[in-house]
Amino acid sequence: MINPFQPELARIVDIKKETYDTTTYTFAFAKPTVQAEFGFLPGQFNMITLFGIGEAPISISSDPDERDTFQHTIRHVGNLTNALNRLQIGDTVGIRGAYGTGWPMDLLTGKNVLIIAGGIGLAPLRPVITQIFQRREDFDRVEVLYGARSPGDMLFTDQYEIWAQRLGVKLTVDVVPRGEQWLHQVGVVTKLLAVMDSVPENTVALTCGPEIMMKFVVRDLLSMGFEPEQIYVSLERRMSCGVKKCGKCQIGPKFTCRDGPVFAYAELLTLPELELGGVGR
Amino acid sequence: MAMARSVGTLASLALLPKTDLKGLVERLMGEFTVVGPVPKGKEYVFSPIQSAGDLALDYGTTILPPKKVLHQPFEVLFSFHETEGICEAREPERKQILFGLHACDVYAIQILDRAYTLEYPDPYYGIKRQNTLIIGLNCHQVGPTCFCQSMGTGPGMRQGYDLLLTDLGDQYLVEVGSSSGEALAAALQLFPAPRVMLVEKEKRLDEVRRKFHKRLQTTGLHELLEDNFRHPVWEQLMHQCLACGSCTMVCPTCFCYNVVDKLDLGLKSGKRQREWDSCMLLEYAQVALGHNFRKDRDARIKQRVYHKLVYYEPQFSTIGCVGCGRCISACVKKIDFTETIAILRGE
Ligand SMILES: Cc1cc2nc3c(=O)[nH]c(=O)nc-3n(C[C@H](O)[C@H](O)[C@H](O)COP(=O)(O)OP(=O)(O)OC[C@H]3O[C@@H](n4cnc5c(N)ncnc54)[C@H](O)[C@@H]3O)c2cc1C
Ligand code: SF4
Ligand code: SF4
Ligand code: FES
Repeated sequence: MINPFQPELARIVDIKKETYDTTTYTFAFAKPTVQAEFGFLPGQFNMITLFGIGEAPISISSDPDERDTFQHTIRHVGNLTNALNRLQIGDTVGIRGAYGTGWPMDLLTGKNVLIIAGGIGLAPLRPVITQIFQRREDFDRVEVLYGARSPGDMLFTDQYEIWAQRLGVKLTVDVVPRGEQWLHQVGVVTKLLAVMDSVPENTVALTCGPEIMMKFVVRDLLSMGFEPEQIYVSLERRMSCGVKKCGKCQIGPKFTCRDGPVFAYAELLTLPELELGGVGR
Repeated sequence: MAMARSVGTLASLALLPKTDLKGLVERLMGEFTVVGPVPKGKEYVFSPIQSAGDLALDYGTTILPPKKVLHQPFEVLFSFHETEGICEAREPERKQILFGLHACDVYAIQILDRAYTLEYPDPYYGIKRQNTLIIGLNCHQVGPTCFCQSMGTGPGMRQGYDLLLTDLGDQYLVEVGSSSGEALAAALQLFPAPRVMLVEKEKRLDEVRRKFHKRLQTTGLHELLEDNFRHPVWEQLMHQCLACGSCTMVCPTCFCYNVVDKLDLGLKSGKRQREWDSCMLLEYAQVALGHNFRKDRDARIKQRVYHKLVYYEPQFSTIGCVGCGRCISACVKKIDFTETIAILRGE
């Protein structure tokens, strides 16, 4: 019987500091056969193990067409993620995956795509952006709205100019520290909704970020005329298995690890718990 | 068992004189670990037996359900070592018989089978389950907290057993429920029984059926609960409930667990272990930076009740509560969700 709980060893082949508290790690599975068989959809996640410390669900932040390696962009916030910060190139961790639903890539073809990310929420959306970038002619208007606390908190800063060659990119920060230069918007991410070029017609909106941010994004999109079916969100929940066994990630009858983490907002509206300001019951 | 005649082609129905039970159990113990109800203080627990005399087949219910031998309270998933990597810690499992299980507990195992063996089958549960035979025992009494009749899971056992015993006074009626059960019955050389004994069995069960006083009205239950997610009763319960998690710990269908890594003293090796968890506990839905998706106690109470009575259906195409009553008797505050449902119904 195959054991879905047993991670494979993966080596850190590169480390890139994104911000003071966030790092992108490039991994390759130690066994070439495992690496060769590993594939994923944008929006899926892996369970990353540090032996002796534990396991955490982390989205894959690289492009699925890169087959030799894959990346995770991780914010150091607690036990496991802080311990990762101490690892170096060549060190090994345990990884198993990929799990969960991805973003609805099939649905995006021929459509306008609106991507709204906050903070670390850009990580699971980057594979969508790079995929669209490479197959730009398959999509209509594409716009990325990204917000972070301060300019120093922004991820993938060297990518924006490249992305902007083929798609719209709008940035905002909550605060600009005194003395720093900032040429973009100031304010929460929903502020960008007021200045964006996107319109509801023929558009699919994908959003990921802190729950409170997504709540306001969804509220504003709905008031602008988006239908719940046009909005997709990626949710975070406590996860101890990733494979529908530990029960931790349940929201109503849904297992976030398996039925999510990406959900159509319309699907969340069927749940009794008040998700993202949904109606609940 | 000198008098026993072989049941060559099995008639699927046999009789076992009570005087032969001891011998039968002892023969089973030769090949299997036999786990059955044994007394512990004033209560009963499922435990591997050392001799046939340990079995207390007149038990009402046990503190923990037999789930604990399939989905263990603590279980090592694997060990890891700095140089040797990951080693699976699984030992070869001995074949076991769960002996004397009541209908509710057998039904609950079938629910666990769905949670654990359908998608991403769990190998730890799966191997133990494959090595387990179930000898059920129809109830001849009704406990004060039992409501299996309302849930359609008892008192008569209909499925999930390999062999099923029904107490008919000085003998047991033995029914065969699977091919493994058939092989077992053949090996045990039981007396074939005439089909009319089934009438006798139903008579006994009817006596039991008349004794239920606790009930949970299940017609329209999903709609009732879905319409009453904001009913004040949840807030009232919140003030009674201690959020101790006892109700989920004793539940035969709860499957949730937490995972922890334990390092050995030298810090170079250790093991990953899972332990039963409970949605009633504060930490259950807590994520990094202290955020908690079910911080309020009423949200946790609702998670348990709605999961058992509503969500199992879409998740696993089955009910989630078998009416064993353990959560009621285990509750220090005597919270009883059959009463909560009655309140929602305005009864
Ligand atoms: C689908 C998904 C995708 C994600 N993608 C990313 C990503 O791309 N990048 C990223 O940075 N983050 C991501 N996260 C968040 C990430 O999983 C968490 O930040 C991470 O689990 C934090 O782990 P930690 O050990 O560092 O934090 P900690 O706070 O130390 O622990 C994490 C978890 O363990 C629990 N815990 C810790 N100690 C105890 C204890 N003593 N008792 C009980 N519970 C305890 C916490 O409640 C928490 O749920 C994602 C989460 C999900 C669900
Ligand atoms: S919810 Fe209570 S009565 Fe129902 S199966 Fe679980 S412990 Fe038994
Ligand atoms: S969510 Fe709660 S009620 Fe449901 S199985 Fe897990 S512990 Fe039991
Ligand atoms: S993470 Fe364990 S069930 Fe979803």
